[in-house]
Amino acid sequence: MSAVSVIWTIAQATFRALLGRRRTILMGLLALVPVLVALLSRVAGDGVADDRAILDLLIIRTVLPLTALVFGTTALGSELDDGTGVALLTKPIPRWHIVLAKIVVAGIVTAVFTAVSAVVTGILLGTAGETLVAYVVGVIVGAFAYATAFVAVSVITTRALVVGLVYTLLWEGWLAGILPGTKSLSLREATLGVIDAVSPPAVVRDGLDLQGSLTLIVVVLVAGSVLGAMRLARYQVKGGD
Amino acid sequence: MNETHETRQPGAAPMASPPDTAAPGLLAPPAPPAPPAAPGAFGIQLDHASRWYGNVVAVNDISFSLGPGVTGLLGPNGAGKTTILHMTAGLLAPSTGRVTIAGEIAWRNPSIYRRLGLVPEREAVPGHLTGRQYAEFNARLHRLPDPRAAAARALATVDLEAAADRTIGTYSKGMQQRAKIAGGLVHDPPILLLDEPFNGMDPRQRLHMIDLLRAMASEGRTILFSSHILEEVERLADSILVIYAGRLAAWGDFRQIRRLMTDRPRTIAIHSADDRKLATVLMPDESVAGVELGPAGLIVRTGDGERFARLLPKAARAAGVTIHEVLPIDESLERVFAYLVSR
Repeated sequence: MSAVSVIWTIAQATFRALLGRRRTILMGLLALVPVLVALLSRVAGDGVADDRAILDLLIIRTVLPLTALVFGTTALGSELDDGTGVALLTKPIPRWHIVLAKIVVAGIVTAVFTAVSAVVTGILLGTAGETLVAYVVGVIVGAFAYATAFVAVSVITTRALVVGLVYTLLWEGWLAGILPGTKSLSLREATLGVIDAVSPPAVVRDGLDLQGSLTLIVVVLVAGSVLGAMRLARYQVKGGD
Repeated sequence: MNETHETRQPGAAPMASPPDTAAPGLLAPPAPPAPPAAPGAFGIQLDHASRWYGNVVAVNDISFSLGPGVTGLLGPNGAGKTTILHMTAGLLAPSTGRVTIAGEIAWRNPSIYRRLGLVPEREAVPGHLTGRQYAEFNARLHRLPDPRAAAARALATVDLEAAADRTIGTYSKGMQQRAKIAGGLVHDPPILLLDEPFNGMDPRQRLHMIDLLRAMASEGRTILFSSHILEEVERLADSILVIYAGRLAAWGDFRQIRRLMTDRPRTIAIHSADDRKLATVLMPDESVAGVELGPAGLIVRTGDGERFARLLPKAARAAGVTIHEVLPIDESLERVFAYLVSR
């Protein structure tokens, strides 16, 4: 069997593990938040809601990173933590097969949850078709970048969830407001950069341009995958007796 | 000490004690042994392997090599058995020394898993998969030509066919253990490592597993399993490695080590109708190293357990003393291990 079939086998098992009933419901509820806000603004609002501002805040700043954080750190990290990952580690397969399968699945699942949320929210807000396409493209690109980063972190530390939260909330959320330079290392800004390139906003914002965005995303995709695979190759199971 | 190490080829009788000049069946590891001879395609070899976590030494300078047959890794909880198995399985790097599987370095070498199956103890099995899906998952990752057939075979081997299509989450602990074993042997490996394989199994399942592992060993496989229960090891293993506090306390033929354990000095509490009279008749015998009369009854220290066991009823009968209770008071496995280490 080829590498593809091994990666597919791991991916199938990962899909099944990630989409357990409880996690699916929780992440579904998270994805539902922007939809409910859009519904509220449509029903109770005066019809002048800034749809891009709402999509940026609720989809790109909230649902996308949090969904990627949960799926990215769980895809491989939880298996390493609870020991089910030993079944993967004791197989004659290159470690990058494992990491690649985990990143692809975490990216797909994150992209689907977030993109569906973005599309429904956008439709309710009356967002233009072109803008909506831009958000879907941005979400897909951002989902894979975040997922890669979080899968890699989950191989390096058992506290990947905390590291991811600190990065998302402090680095991307708080620090980017104080020190604009940190934006060049912000996946959120890179995602917004891609969206703005596909569908330029009325007012150009002060963030990463397309080139900077793509550079950061490619660096994260490559470095995250390589680092994850290298760290997994050196991964040692927790101490026994 | 002269230590040569022996590895048998497939089909040969299981390895007995190392063929050297040491006390029968017993190797004292503290003296640095010479590097073991290269093992064959079915061999496990540890060469001065140590592993520590920070300041804590989990495994201390262990050397052995194993060929086909069943070897029990016996030691109390916390002795370092799991660390040895994890190092052997390439899941932990030795801090110093070398671990090889079939002649290949185990650490950072996924290709060893073609020949090695691991059945871990604590590691969970994914509860959302059925037994069959789990076995097939393992078979596919081994790139076996017919994963379904291999999974079915492994499930039949561990007697799990009836429950194969239920999710593992609904299994009893013993069934989960068997699902893990099915996953570990789905690729029919010549070397099998099992960490406390009998945990959670009922007596019938234990017997079945013992038969299974013996049958697998008779086909020429190298099987190393850990246990903290002497009786399990006694029923299954041909040879044993006794681990105590991270060190190899004894290594060799099970019966010989068992004899050493039996012959060690021991302390026995006796309650009788007349402890003082019994003490008087027991004392002259050479098997009795000391007696003590106290509120707990008569405490006897003996250097020859077997002889004393024969002496006691005879002496009591001759003296007309009725014995109410005979209680060995230092029989814990830890004490046995401590004794073996001190030799």
